[in-house]
Amino acid sequence: MSANVETFSPKPSRPAPADTVGIIGWLRANLFKDVSNALMTILGAYLIYVVIAAVLEWAVFNAVWDAENRRECLELVGRSGACWPGVVAWFDNLIYGLYPKDQVWRINIAFLILIAWLVPLWMPKVSSKIAVGLSATLIYPFLASYFFLGGSKGIIWTVLIAAGVSGFVWVWATALCETLRGKPITAQIIAWLKLDTAEESKQRTAIRLVGLGLLVASSILVSVWSLEEVRTNFWGGLFLTLVISGFGITFSLPAGILLALGRRSHMPAISLLCTAFIELFRSVPLITILFMFNTMLPLFLPPGIETNSLARAIVAVCLFASAYMAEVVRGGLQALPNGQYEAAASLGLGYWQTTSQVIMPQALKIMIPSIVGNFIGLFKDTTLVSIIGLFDMMNMARAVGEDTTWLGLLFEPFFTVTLIYFFFCFAMSSYSIRLEKRLSEGRDRN
Amino acid sequence: MNQPSAPKAIEIVNLNKWFGHFHVLKDVNLTVREGERYVVCGPSGSGKSTLIRCVNQLEEHQEGDILVDGVMVHRNGSNRTEIRKHIGMVFQSFNLFPHLTVLDNCILSPTLGLQMPKKDAEEIAMQHLSRVGIDDQATKYPLQLSGGQQQRVAIARALCMKPRIMLFDEPTSALDPEMISEVLDVMVSLAEAGMTMICVTHEMGFARQVADRVVFMDQGEIVESAEPQAFFENPQYDRSQQFLSHIL
Repeated sequence: MSANVETFSPKPSRPAPADTVGIIGWLRANLFKDVSNALMTILGAYLIYVVIAAVLEWAVFNAVWDAENRRECLELVGRSGACWPGVVAWFDNLIYGLYPKDQVWRINIAFLILIAWLVPLWMPKVSSKIAVGLSATLIYPFLASYFFLGGSKGIIWTVLIAAGVSGFVWVWATALCETLRGKPITAQIIAWLKLDTAEESKQRTAIRLVGLGLLVASSILVSVWSLEEVRTNFWGGLFLTLVISGFGITFSLPAGILLALGRRSHMPAISLLCTAFIELFRSVPLITILFMFNTMLPLFLPPGIETNSLARAIVAVCLFASAYMAEVVRGGLQALPNGQYEAAASLGLGYWQTTSQVIMPQALKIMIPSIVGNFIGLFKDTTLVSIIGLFDMMNMARAVGEDTTWLGLLFEPFFTVTLIYFFFCFAMSSYSIRLEKRLSEGRDRN
Repeated sequence: MNQPSAPKAIEIVNLNKWFGHFHVLKDVNLTVREGERYVVCGPSGSGKSTLIRCVNQLEEHQEGDILVDGVMVHRNGSNRTEIRKHIGMVFQSFNLFPHLTVLDNCILSPTLGLQMPKKDAEEIAMQHLSRVGIDDQATKYPLQLSGGQQQRVAIARALCMKPRIMLFDEPTSALDPEMISEVLDVMVSLAEAGMTMICVTHEMGFARQVADRVVFMDQGEIVESAEPQAFFENPQYDRSQQFLSHIL
């Protein structure tokens, strides 16, 4: 060290040159960097303008909003403008199919219940999110099925629907309790019953009794509640698309996980069976599978058991989707280092404990983009059910043009349907990106 | 330090193991008594990691017997999970669970495997975390810690299962030089507390300081096994001499 130490004073920071930051800076750097870049920007802007202008002109400025039939539209503007009255007249059918108009509220209520069921997943203080999500995929379908289908119900069916009702009550009780009181609903029930907190077995019995009571109460409620039957051949439109893809999505993820685990199993019989299933369903087009199930399945079932074509389509879509999902999951499992398995094994964790607590939480996180990609693919693939005579949204759009009043009206309904498909797929895609970001934030730095 | 009368913690008799056609362990015999510290060293590929991985059955052996606390390790895996609960293991690459916090890493197995109430498990975990000096980082995620800290968490995680034996598989090989000592210090204090340990390591200073015996392996065989002083000052085989001349 020298004797005379000088003090270091850092220079003050100056603002960056005005043409390198802000909007102007961004424009210069990205759109007008050099001559060819500027030309491409202008060309691109022109193309976008041409397309959007053409679409707007057809869909809005030149469009006919009020007409009795297609001929009237054609007389007014020819083919230069859209003929929306046809779509408006058919809009209910595009959404609900041929579902009776006075019963459509059931579909709306069921979807509102689903949304309400899922709301706790976004409530920050709710900690049992896995249970909420699982209940929505495992129990909600029973409740929804009755809303959609209605009709008579036996004892088992009644109990299953009651499980749906109790599940919904439980989800919101949990959500409210965890948000307002900050403790699980079970603890709250024990506090209300003024039970001794030391005796765990007594507590468990009490919780079970409360659960059973809820189930019995809702069973009684359900048994006096009756809805008119709406057979599945009246189902159609967006509603049918959502039902088929909803079943496909909720079934394919757990089934895909099991198949992927089975394929990686050390037991040759299980591994062989799973591999055979996956490869078989992956190497056959969905259309073929739908045809097979529609025409061949009834031949294999014992006489007396009748399945309708919707059920057959759902089964076919579910199996097809789970084979694809299995390969996605397998990819995620393979991305995990072997050390994770070894660490879990060395701590004395068993196979299912390791899989559920160590492997799957990490693997699923890696797989989110591909899983959502699969869901989007599945959602769009459901259009193929039109091939076995189901009127999903796409098929319904085509039916508009076959209506004698609106004969030949194809562009407008397809345009509408495109927007609806885009809305759903884009929503799924954006949500997955948000989910990915949030999960990776929690893991790397907090 | 030797207690020849103490019960045998690990007994390995005529162990043979093959990877496919490759014979990696050849007639290995080793007895570790309770409270003894063994250091296993040798060139890479000598089978030292495989040997200790056989003890808790991360690797299956084809011939010979392994007894842990007098209990035979069945080759069909029937008592594998049970035996692993008594044997802690620390890996070269830490292998912490990145999706769980430090504390959750430590309580996962006690709550699931030993059915311990969460509160008790957390209490024990915090004790072990403070023992390795990480208690103030308990709510962080493993990837937010340095390598040395991660390895200390890994040791604490293994200790939370109250193991009777600890296996260390090159615990300092993946660490930056300045972090090695913080991990070795923890291992030394563990040894001084009387833990039965088998350490595969190249840290000869550590071997000198705490080992009861040093085992030198080459090409799947135990070449020699001796007390540290004898081994370092007067190795019996040319192969051990050669190895020591490279490493010291």
